Amino acid sequence: MDEDHAVGRVLGTDDATPLSFWVALAPEQYLQLDDVVALERQLPDGNTVRIYGLVTQVRARHEGARFDSDVFLIEEGILPAEVSQAAEVLATRFEPEVFVPPLPGQRVHKAEGHDRDMALYFDGMAKRLPAGLTRDDEPLYANLEFLDGSRGAHVNISGISGVATKTTYATFLLFSLFRSGVLGGEAINTKALIYNVKGEDLLFLDRDNRDLDDANRERYERMGLAHGAFESVDFWASPRRDDIVAAPDVASRQTGVTSYFWTLAEFCADGLLPFVFADAEDDRQQYTIVIHNVVAKLRDVAAPLTDGGITIDGQTITEFDALARLIADRLQDETTVAEWAGRAIGQGTVNAFIRRLFGAVAHLKHLVRGDVPNPERHRIHRQAQVTVVDIHNLNDRAKRFVVGVTLRRAFDEKERAGVQRPLLFVVLDELNKYAPREGSSPIKEILVDMSERGRSLGIILIGAQQTASEVERRIVANSSLRVVGRLDAAEAGRDEYGFLPTVHRQRATILKPGTMILSQPELPIPLVTQFPFPSWATRASEAASIPSTGDPDDPFEGLG
Amino acid sequence: MAQRVAIETWDPEYGVPSTEHPGEETDVVVDADVEIPVARWAPVVPGQGASAASLAFIDGVRRIDANAWLDDGTAPVRQGMFASFAAGAVHAADHARVDAIEVRRGLFAPGRPEPFTTKAGAYQPFGVAGPGPELLSAALQERLGALEIEVAGRLANGADLIVVDGPLYGRQHLPHTVGYIKTHRVHYLSGEAARTVAALAPGERTPLYRFRTSWTRHSWYLRLAGPMVHSWSGIVRLEAPAELSVDQCVALAELSSRALPRFASAPHKDPRAPQNLYPIAGLERELRRRLGDPRYVERALRAAAR
Repeated sequence: MDEDHAVGRVLGTDDATPLSFWVALAPEQYLQLDDVVALERQLPDGNTVRIYGLVTQVRARHEGARFDSDVFLIEEGILPAEVSQAAEVLATRFEPEVFVPPLPGQRVHKAEGHDRDMALYFDGMAKRLPAGLTRDDEPLYANLEFLDGSRGAHVNISGISGVATKTTYATFLLFSLFRSGVLGGEAINTKALIYNVKGEDLLFLDRDNRDLDDANRERYERMGLAHGAFESVDFWASPRRDDIVAAPDVASRQTGVTSYFWTLAEFCADGLLPFVFADAEDDRQQYTIVIHNVVAKLRDVAAPLTDGGITIDGQTITEFDALARLIADRLQDETTVAEWAGRAIGQGTVNAFIRRLFGAVAHLKHLVRGDVPNPERHRIHRQAQVTVVDIHNLNDRAKRFVVGVTLRRAFDEKERAGVQRPLLFVVLDELNKYAPREGSSPIKEILVDMSERGRSLGIILIGAQQTASEVERRIVANSSLRVVGRLDAAEAGRDEYGFLPTVHRQRATILKPGTMILSQPELPIPLVTQFPFPSWATRASEAASIPSTGDPDDPFEGLG
Repeated sequence: MAQRVAIETWDPEYGVPSTEHPGEETDVVVDADVEIPVARWAPVVPGQGASAASLAFIDGVRRIDANAWLDDGTAPVRQGMFASFAAGAVHAADHARVDAIEVRRGLFAPGRPEPFTTKAGAYQPFGVAGPGPELLSAALQERLGALEIEVAGRLANGADLIVVDGPLYGRQHLPHTVGYIKTHRVHYLSGEAARTVAALAPGERTPLYRFRTSWTRHSWYLRLAGPMVHSWSGIVRLEAPAELSVDQCVALAELSSRALPRFASAPHKDPRAPQNLYPIAGLERELRRRLGDPRYVERALRAAAR
């Protein structure tokens, strides 16, 4: 260990333990939060233990002062005193694992190069995913094995909307996955499914960011990433309401966006009705039994027409409200109610079902239909590397329907394929809406299933929410990588953030946009991480040029 | 006149800053006419002369680490004393900083004691003329005085004014140095001169007087800031060498009257306020710290004596 680089010595006025210790800083030296340090301790048996750690607190005080007001006397040159600085270090690693405390007086130096990799366990990461930078622009890595399912999977991101930059960090992680080469030859077949829940931020992923400056370009280079936009992206948006040709309902982007909807035939054949009901699986609700009976009945009796419409008992149906009316008629007709709702279902229960069904009609009418020619053009496929599904214009109930149906399809496809690779990454913000802690719903079931079995199925959830305390525990618990942006103080104190040491909890309340706290299984202490300004456009004004991609409907695009 | 009570600002453990011991140093010869005739004595307001750009304060501390019995098999058992002592200086210019600290450890005993090494450091032997704790203590005080002189000598040209804690005895040769006495065992002045001391306002001094006990020096009183609970509160006495001319001594008196009041301590911060100046209090704390933890030193002595 180079003694010239010693920044200070372990101090003996506070306890030094294998978990944490304080370092008194030598004159003209400084340490800042998140600096990485290392030291050596000789054991009586002749062995050497190397101790690595992260600076989590730094303090300065007057030695020789006894009263707060002594500072004035000291500054006026009346009372002699010295300024002493000390840094608290939380140990990250012992090599070999002999858990002894460092001894007071031992030299501590800043860890650089190999020492830094050792301290942060980067040396043992066979596949390192660039996950951001330190304040002095040194790259930080996550272990891909904890993301791709080999040893763990899933990412969970918490933070206040607007300040925490959750979605941007999620897209940065995807960018890093695709660009860093960490996936090797698989990168080309690895797919991502992103839901755009707010604004039209994600509709420009395929365009270079005009506002990217040289400093940020360099930051990408330091992580070994070629800056730029996502190469292969398909954009899907909900259709405009009451638009006969189902044009996509987006304001800022004119080309390259396709509208999506489901045909009535699919709706009946695939049993999508439960996704209309947000609380369908709530056991306290009697009418859920009606849903399942109606689903079975629809699958049975609906015959598809060419443009996605259906006929039931000879009646042609091309609109969702017509289907809803037909279902309501059958349920209210005493001769058919037992057949559609099941036996011994009370009138009150049937009415509850009908009331909810009609409540959804207005919001889903444009998403489930049979009145547009060539409906297969509007069926979401995941040909491109990144598939963006825009749901920001939709009502909450419609959002749940779209997310639920698309996730189910993705999940079913992966399950059917039976192979883990290539991986599918799913980015979903507002998890608290889809998998709330209380209650049960079809989407929540899928998300929980995904978090539990996705690791082996090769479907990786990058979920985000304002407050992890409002999200189903199992989903958060199954995430190997936990990321925290700015939190409000009350939230930061909750048990869900138990993986953050006290200092990090305090820091989470003052994090700036672009800074996250990243916790990964191998590191006992989370890392404070900065990520560069996006090199892809996040709004129309940043988009550099018309994307070079051709017809977004061309299924052979990108295969050259 | 009704009885008037003033509570002394010093912590009772430190005694009283102005104590008269009748009968002590009876053969004092005072000449109060050296600066101005005693009949015209009045408080002197310091002039607007140059102020000291840099001051140095010198002080020492002593601590008895252990009493011991020395037995070399030939003579009767002798009483000895292990003591640690330290001297140092505070430089007060733009910033006050502790400088030139010297720490010594000594074994004081009658006869010719031998060096004694412990885990906490080596004790130098100092032979004392005869038996008895008073002689041991006096020998320690003498050594400490010598150490202070050593420290002061190193600073001689580094400061415009050197303030030595305690009487100037033995240090008269140091340039621009004054002795600083916090406690008044004897009131050397009487009559009009004594009334002038009582009449001093904060920052004012008496005229110079010369007095002789076992040695001769110039002296004057100065009142520091602080609450005037009685007529002698906040009064300190300063000394300058007799070898200097009256003009040189007046210059030192002027310089110190301008410089010292700002260093006076506040009662809530120092049990001996205001006389115990901030730099000296800070220096004493630092010196005591450098003596080492007393229990550790005692343990080291016991271990080495085994």
